This record gives sequence, structure tokens and C-alpha cells, in this order.
Amino acid sequence: MEALAAIADPTRRRIVEMLAERDRTAGEIVSEFRVSAPAISQHLKVLREAGWVTVRVDGQHRVQSLNPKAIAEVEGWLARTKQFWSNRLDALERALEADRGKHHKPKKSS
Amino acid sequence: MSTPPIVKIVRRYQAAAEKVFDAWLDLGMLSRWMFGPDMRDEEIVRLTLDARPGGRFSFVVRRGDQEIDHVGQYLEIERPRRLKFTWGLAGMSVDESWVTIDIVADGGACELTLTHELDPAWSDYADRTKQGWTMMCGKLAEVLER
Repeated sequence: MEALAAIADPTRRRIVEMLAERDRTAGEIVSEFRVSAPAISQHLKVLREAGWVTVRVDGQHRVQSLNPKAIAEVEGWLARTKQFWSNRLDALERALEADRGKHHKPKKSS
Repeated sequence: MSTPPIVKIVRRYQAAAEKVFDAWLDLGMLSRWMFGPDMRDEEIVRLTLDARPGGRFSFVVRRGDQEIDHVGQYLEIERPRRLKFTWGLAGMSVDESWVTIDIVADGGACELTLTHELDPAWSDYADRTKQGWTMMCGKLAEVLER
């Protein structure tokens, strides 16, 4: 879930989208934004810590690339959430059914 | 996967919209479908709610030796059409997510749409092009197939 919290931020989401196209250096990412290099560094740090981005050294460059595990985490959240509510919405139907049944029964005389 | 993290589920109920709406805010009713042994292997510890906009709820259940507290705040309560609340687990570092229940009456029956999104920021994203997300998923498939 930490992965999801990290990309609620639009700048970070845009960075993730860019890295989905292809790997990039931090410099290339900065050039796409009107945001300072330190700010982008900070965003990249958050993305690394949340598992979205991994870095590898390629000669003089540090290349940022997307980590597919984070996407798998999002898919996991979707599946769990869907299951959670599906089960409960089915149970709600059963509870409503049971109530309807009650109304049709004749009242007990005590 | 080509959608942002938003879960949408539609269900039809053979019951009046008011009845279905009230089932979300009535503790007796909630303990019959949302939580408890009928639902799954869990015990209800304590359910509390304050059914007003801005009011909070706390649904504590025990599974095995673990207590889980589902907490949130009601944002919109428009009986019987719409209910919106935040949803999270107490003690988790993750920000709250948002749940919207829309109910459309149809004679004596109704249709309920549940939308669970991670962050309001995602709403804008959902309406925008899904291209980036689709690409990420393409990338995932690519990596997994290597």
C-alpha cells in the first residue's frame, strides 16, 4: 500500500509514467519538469523508498528504472478490495432477503 | 490492468433504496452483513458510528489473536441516494481511501454502485488518459515474460 500512497502525488505519478516508457537518468527527468533538480531528487527518493524505482550505475550515469513489483502491489490492492466488497455486498443481499422473509411470516401470538 | 486503482462494483437489490441505504448506518444491520461470524471467521469486538457528515465510525473485529479496527469519517450522507466516507485501518501508515455508495431506486428494487478509490487525486487521473497506466502494465507484462 505504501506504493500507492507514493503515487497519489501527480509529479511522482508523471515520473512513473515516464519511466514506464523507458529508463532515464535523473537529469533527463528534471528536463521534463519546471521543478528544481533537488525537488525531483526528493521525488525519486520517495519513489525508491516506496519500491517504484530502482537505480543502476551505468558508467558515469545513474539510470532510474521502473520496478514492476510496485505495479504488482497495486494489482494486489485492487484484487483484495474487490473481493472484500463483493463478499459484503453478497452478504447484504442475504441480510435483506432474511428481512423480507420475516415480513411475510404471520405474527406469533404470545 | 488498464485502470487506475479504483474499484467499482454494481449490485441490484430486491429491496427499497431506503432499506439498502439504512443498512450502511444501522449497527444491528451492519453486524449482520459487514462484519462478524456470518461473514467470515471473525468476532465483532465493538462497532460504533456517528451517522452525520463529519461523524466517525470504528468497526473493531478480532481474527485469531489480531484485532482489526476499520475507521473512517462520513463525508456525505444523502438518504437514500448517496453515502460517502473515508476508509482505513487504524494504526496503518497508509492514507485513508474513499468509498462512495450511490443508490438508484427502481420501483421496489434498487441498484447500488460502490466506488472505492485510493485518493481523490486518482479521480482526476481516472478521467484523464489511462495511457500511462496502460504502459506501466505493458511494462510489467514485458518484465514478467522475460
